[in-house]
Amino acid sequence: MPPPGAGIRIESLTCDHGPVRAVDGVDLDIRAGSRVALVGTNGSGKSTLVRAVLGLHRPSRGTVAVDGHVARTARDWARRRRECAWIPQRQSAGSFPLLVRELLDGGGRGTESARDAAADLGVGHLLDRPVATLSGGQLQRVHLARVIGRVAAGAGVVLADEPTAALDFDARRDAARHLLCLGVTTLVVTHDPDLAADCDRRLEMAAGRLREVA
Amino acid sequence: MIDADTLAALLAMPAVQRAALGLFLGAVGLPLVGVVIVGLDIMPVRFAMMHVALLGIAVGLLTGADPTLCALVACACAGAAVSPLADRPGGLSGGMGLLMSLAMAAALLLIAVSGTNAASAFALLWGSILSVRTVDLVILGCLAVLVPGLLVRFRRQLALLLHDRELALVSGVRVRWFTLVLLVIVAVAVAGAIRLTGALLVDALTILPALAARRLGSSLTSIAAWAVVCGLVSTAVGFALALLLDLPPGPVLVLTAGLLAVAAHLLPERTHRAWHRTPHSSDPSS
Repeated sequence: MPPPGAGIRIESLTCDHGPVRAVDGVDLDIRAGSRVALVGTNGSGKSTLVRAVLGLHRPSRGTVAVDGHVARTARDWARRRRECAWIPQRQSAGSFPLLVRELLDGGGRGTESARDAAADLGVGHLLDRPVATLSGGQLQRVHLARVIGRVAAGAGVVLADEPTAALDFDARRDAARHLLCLGVTTLVVTHDPDLAADCDRRLEMAAGRLREVA
Repeated sequence: MIDADTLAALLAMPAVQRAALGLFLGAVGLPLVGVVIVGLDIMPVRFAMMHVALLGIAVGLLTGADPTLCALVACACAGAAVSPLADRPGGLSGGMGLLMSLAMAAALLLIAVSGTNAASAFALLWGSILSVRTVDLVILGCLAVLVPGLLVRFRRQLALLLHDRELALVSGVRVRWFTLVLLVIVAVAVAGAIRLTGALLVDALTILPALAARRLGSSLTSIAAWAVVCGLVSTAVGFALALLLDLPPGPVLVLTAGLLAVAAHLLPERTHRAWHRTPHSSDPSS
């Protein structure tokens, strides 16, 4: 049985990029195990919101609690990052070479499951390739496999930032199926209407503010 | 060019033997430090540490303590002190400019106040491979054991950190701790290499083998292995040439390592046909 996931509670979250307000007083409650799509135009603050959950962007104001815990110390953040698995929007090929197997092994948690998922997603034969030699779609599937491994190792939240943007139509449906069947709390930033439609809730961000979409 | 008898006499000299041992130890540990410098993209850090090393030497000259040890301690402290800057969006570059200027100004002030001969401080920066002492060998020996040990023990975490700091962070890698340790090692390595090639030519043993290896390897493990091979080859060839041609070893080592790095980059880029196979085409039954 996969873990049921952890709830996310965001209160009055405000994030700034210098003089630009990216997230403006957002309140959000995501029930444990639910799947939420976050849509909106480029620059509306979606990625910043996700990065704030992971502590990659320091909020100007407000709190983010995952599984009831607000991270304040380095130990809290380490726990938060164990709890959350992330598919980054900027899937950097990195300046220093990294093999696909090293990306899947990263952090040493859920490696076997990640490799199984990679095989299932059609990228299992790429283990010995440097990630810089992968296409955008291949890299996106490797990141998805990595997240599946993390969930198998106990992560209760998946934060996916445009996880299907570089995929072809069939691969997009396949990736969406894998992502939404994980059985954990999933917050997915997407411009893919089909993926958004398959989620339990749809939220739209505009100019840093959030609203529920029917 | 010297004759065989002279070469044999040179090789029998304890100073030359110590220099060779120092170079061997340096060629094992320092190229791996170069891999870290290239991987973390912290070239300005080593420039800054060269200036901090001068400050340490000045402190040593002022207080009568061992200048090399003072340089080592100063570099280690500076490496630890600057590591929090790695978390900042601007990275280490800006801070390194400040550190360089302050360290050089402080060093010059100390040298002036102490009334010591500035040339003696700067002479240490150029290094003297034949004056390698036991303490220098101990430092290089520690680096030759510690750095490969660290890379082997934490290769998964380091591979991810060198590739992408944020990805490492969210994967549970203790990024701040590793950054602190790596920066201290880089700083200590710069100070430790002073006797071999001088701080100003430390690139011969750190960056140049790493640059060659970066071209030859495709993962942290293979790049690290190539870096050590390139380091050993370039120091062995460079030192032998310096002895045979009766030339100063430091510049010859740099030129040898530099030529090796250029040669590595002139090699045609490897093509990996296996990478382009699909699972089906690699299946003998298909």
